[in-house]
Amino acid sequence: MVAIGVLAATWGMAQDGQGKTTVLYDRESRYYRILVVEYETEKRLCLHFSKTRGIQSSMLIGDPVALDLRYCRTMVAGLALVPEAKDVLLVGLGGASLPKFIQKNFPDIRLDIVEIDPDVVKVCQKFFHFEGTPNTRVFVMDGRMYMKRAEKKYDVILLDAYAADHIPFHLTTAEFIRMVRDHLKPGGAVVSNLWEHGLNRFYFAELKTFQETFPQSYILPAGSSGNIIVFGSLDEPKVAADEWVRRAKAASADKDLGFDLPALVGQEYRYLKDQAIREKALTDDAAPVDTLRRENPKYFEEEAAKQP
Amino acid sequence: MIRVIVLAAVFVSGAALMSLEMAGFRLVQPEFGSDIIVWGSLISVFLGGLAAGAYLGGRIADLGPSLWGLALILALAGGVALLIPAYADAVLEWTFPGQGAPLPQEWESAGAAGHLQVYLPPDLRWPTLEAGLLLFLMPSLLLGMTSPYAARLLIRAIGRVGAGVGTISGISTVGAIAGTLGTTFYLITWMGTRWLMAANGLVLLGLGAVLGLAHLASRPQPT
Repeated sequence: MVAIGVLAATWGMAQDGQGKTTVLYDRESRYYRILVVEYETEKRLCLHFSKTRGIQSSMLIGDPVALDLRYCRTMVAGLALVPEAKDVLLVGLGGASLPKFIQKNFPDIRLDIVEIDPDVVKVCQKFFHFEGTPNTRVFVMDGRMYMKRAEKKYDVILLDAYAADHIPFHLTTAEFIRMVRDHLKPGGAVVSNLWEHGLNRFYFAELKTFQETFPQSYILPAGSSGNIIVFGSLDEPKVAADEWVRRAKAASADKDLGFDLPALVGQEYRYLKDQAIREKALTDDAAPVDTLRRENPKYFEEEAAKQP
Repeated sequence: MIRVIVLAAVFVSGAALMSLEMAGFRLVQPEFGSDIIVWGSLISVFLGGLAAGAYLGGRIADLGPSLWGLALILALAGGVALLIPAYADAVLEWTFPGQGAPLPQEWESAGAAGHLQVYLPPDLRWPTLEAGLLLFLMPSLLLGMTSPYAARLLIRAIGRVGAGVGTISGISTVGAIAGTLGTTFYLITWMGTRWLMAANGLVLLGLGAVLGLAHLASRPQPT
């Protein structure tokens, strides 16, 4: 899980002497450099996969189950989009924010988690209060390999698999998103965390993939955090903002989520399916998400055209 | 003239080798995941192919080197590269790691309360090596033959072996750099993985044809 924005600057700020930080864990794993950093002024514990790039996950030390990062709260809207979701899959464990939140607030959900790095799982257990429940399973493997092997179908699939600063290419392509779609139960939805397009020049290509793969698609920009959450749904009829808000109210009726989910949905709702996107979807054959090339000026035109 | 054509062949086969290797990662990663084991396996296969190719190529060259022989080696490598996209999916499917449902494994709970059910991944080592061998051993072996064969063609005097081998080795490596940077910076974006492999095949086939023609042109004319 990677979020940028307010907290992303924290590390740099802290090093400039504006707050005290303690590095609790700093070790190379097979896939990443894993850093667990305590920000004492902010009373937060954060997971990093790099000293210089954004944070993967953030936990309030006083309230380890609360969703601290804005984008995680927005992803919860996916659990409301599919009423009575029972089987949920999360690809990319990060600091286990969403798993802990789901375990506490939706204990009936059968939660499967796919995480490539066994050390990330151990760090979550040791530092981020991640514990097992009878309804929680962790699969330590590549997300795409899991999709290929797994036969189970899910109501909601949450995609949040990031390396230090990008999604691995084989988890961005139309082929992969179709594999994910084929693991949905009827009416199910896929929820993906994307970086907005000022940070991610494949943003529109990734949106296009969702548009093309699902009968319905929506966007909830996670405030000004730099994360945009895209939703692809198998549910044919369009879910209007007020209907989603109603579902969010039903899903959070007798719960204290720690934030106002219906209000969040109401404020951020955008319909994606009928938006015109000129980009082509990424494919296994051509998904240059990790190549070093100059920005294509077209992307900036797109952004300029979107401004009111 | 012959010298220039042979050195060009050395350059291009170095470039094609690395281009195939870089594109090979993109071909294999969707099935086997982004794991350092995938990189290790593929690089080892290419190095193994180069080693075997160098060994065999040198011996074949000593049987009687000719431009025709070099043309045949490059054309064969090109044919194999051209076919990789056609059979890659079947190979990847067949070697896919850990078929079937994963089994739960014992997991040390790292001091946290509550037993976490953890399923560990399949062993990737043999499946990635197997896929790598099936896909890339032949082309890298054939391309590995180029350098010793070219050395035998170009070096006439024993006193010139150092300079000759040095030149060939250097040109081959510069070609490899060109193939690596060209592929990763531009060509994968432009053509996509599979077309790029096929394009490498076509270039090698074309090179083989040029060498074949050069062979015909340079044959002593009957009197």
